[in-house]
Amino acid sequence: MLSLVLTVIAALFFTGIVIRTKSLASGRKGPGIMQPIKDVIRLFKKGAVYSETSSFIFQIAPTIYLASIVMAMLVVPFGQTKGLLSFSCDFIFFAYVLALGKFFSIISAMDTGSSFEGMGASREALYSMFAEPAFFILMGSFALLTGYTSFQEIFAALHIGSYISYALAGLATFVLIMVAMIENSRMPIDDPKTHLELTMVHEVMILDNSGFDLGLILTGGYLKFAIYGTLIFNLFIGIIDYQYAIPLFFIVQFLMAVIVGLIESFSARFRMNHNAQFIVALTSVSLLIFFGALLMLGKFN
Amino acid sequence: MIHVILIVFIITLFYLSIANRMLTYVKVLALQGVLLFFVAFLQLSEINTLNLIFILLETIVFKAIAVPLFLGYLLKRNNITREAEPFLPNFVSLIITTAIVVATILLSNSILDSHLDKMFFVVALSTLFTGLYFIASRRKIITHVMGYMVIENGVFVLSMAVGNEMPMMVNLGVMLDIFASVLILGIFLNKIGDVFKDVDVDQLTNLKDY
Repeated sequence: MLSLVLTVIAALFFTGIVIRTKSLASGRKGPGIMQPIKDVIRLFKKGAVYSETSSFIFQIAPTIYLASIVMAMLVVPFGQTKGLLSFSCDFIFFAYVLALGKFFSIISAMDTGSSFEGMGASREALYSMFAEPAFFILMGSFALLTGYTSFQEIFAALHIGSYISYALAGLATFVLIMVAMIENSRMPIDDPKTHLELTMVHEVMILDNSGFDLGLILTGGYLKFAIYGTLIFNLFIGIIDYQYAIPLFFIVQFLMAVIVGLIESFSARFRMNHNAQFIVALTSVSLLIFFGALLMLGKFN
Repeated sequence: MIHVILIVFIITLFYLSIANRMLTYVKVLALQGVLLFFVAFLQLSEINTLNLIFILLETIVFKAIAVPLFLGYLLKRNNITREAEPFLPNFVSLIITTAIVVATILLSNSILDSHLDKMFFVVALSTLFTGLYFIASRRKIITHVMGYMVIENGVFVLSMAVGNEMPMMVNLGVMLDIFASVLILGIFLNKIGDVFKDVDVDQLTNLKDY
């Protein structure tokens, strides 16, 4: 329950901080921290317009997308405290519930019958397919390292003591930030500010969504970032009391938002055919984490 | 701590396999020199001081400063284009490098010898094979020199694993090797650059008997 509340609070500010960092880095003052939330509230007050060619799938997809993200949020723990749901192998549930939401957003993009949206959908499917092995090798090696299979038990048992575990946590942070960037279609693989349909990936998929539906999709995006921030925070928390852990949580989320903003400000978008190699690089790094875990277990010496 | 540095060393190999520009190669080689300096500093604590100073100077001055500067000078002097121009796409390079690392880990895991420090063995062997792969898959002569430097780094890591017993020999050999290779190939490149203005190995395939 605690992680749910804290993640939602973090999600309120996260995207605003990212946008503010980007505008400060480019020498502007930028909109207020709450501007993305105000945008969403404005969208929620509107109705939605549906194309005549689209079917009911297009209408239910944004709801399912947001619902899947909220479901994924339920299993994310807060250090020692369980999430609302906690069962063995819930990290698989986490990944595939997110994938279900993505599947619905993909078929709703196909449903509109626009060729641009079909192209965006195919690219997004490809990128999330490449990001999946990295996430599973990462979580699998942590499960191997600790001997447990649910998020809460893994993070509770993950003691950071020796140098090599610092290295593993650092690498895992890198992989998780990059997976979050891919899941949210942010800068190194996709530019949220691009104006041309041919170069968009995620934005082109939601071109036909308007009003309330668009608000749901944007809310889902904000939540997703905060969820990955919570996961990264969990890597480092271990066994700390709440009065230290909760401020630390917001510091970690703030730092992650600033890092995401800085990555977006100072890196150019990759060429389309470079994306695949970049995403597979994540898999290579998570393989290193896997062998590092084997090394720590003494299976390999 | 040594393990952390060695893991970073393997990551530099991954980065090298997807790098596009020649200057990135030079910078990564310099970074590898710095990493080797720290590994040597932490690992070789039991050898005598003079020898340790010699090895540390060799890594930091030679591997991290002199050779990268010289390679950068060669790039500028011979007007070599900035792209690396591999034969295979970077994507395949990355997969092959990963496969090399995984294969060496599996290989070293099957060796049941307690004297061997497996971590050093894995890093050294995968660096060796990756260097060989770079030499085989890149088009320009200067990239072959860089692949050779990567191989030398691998040999250095391997010598570090046994460095406390026989340090001097291995490192003298390594240093002489690098020195000779860079000097010879540098002069070679300078001459070629002056006469032909082009150092593409691929054009050698056009040579034929009439």
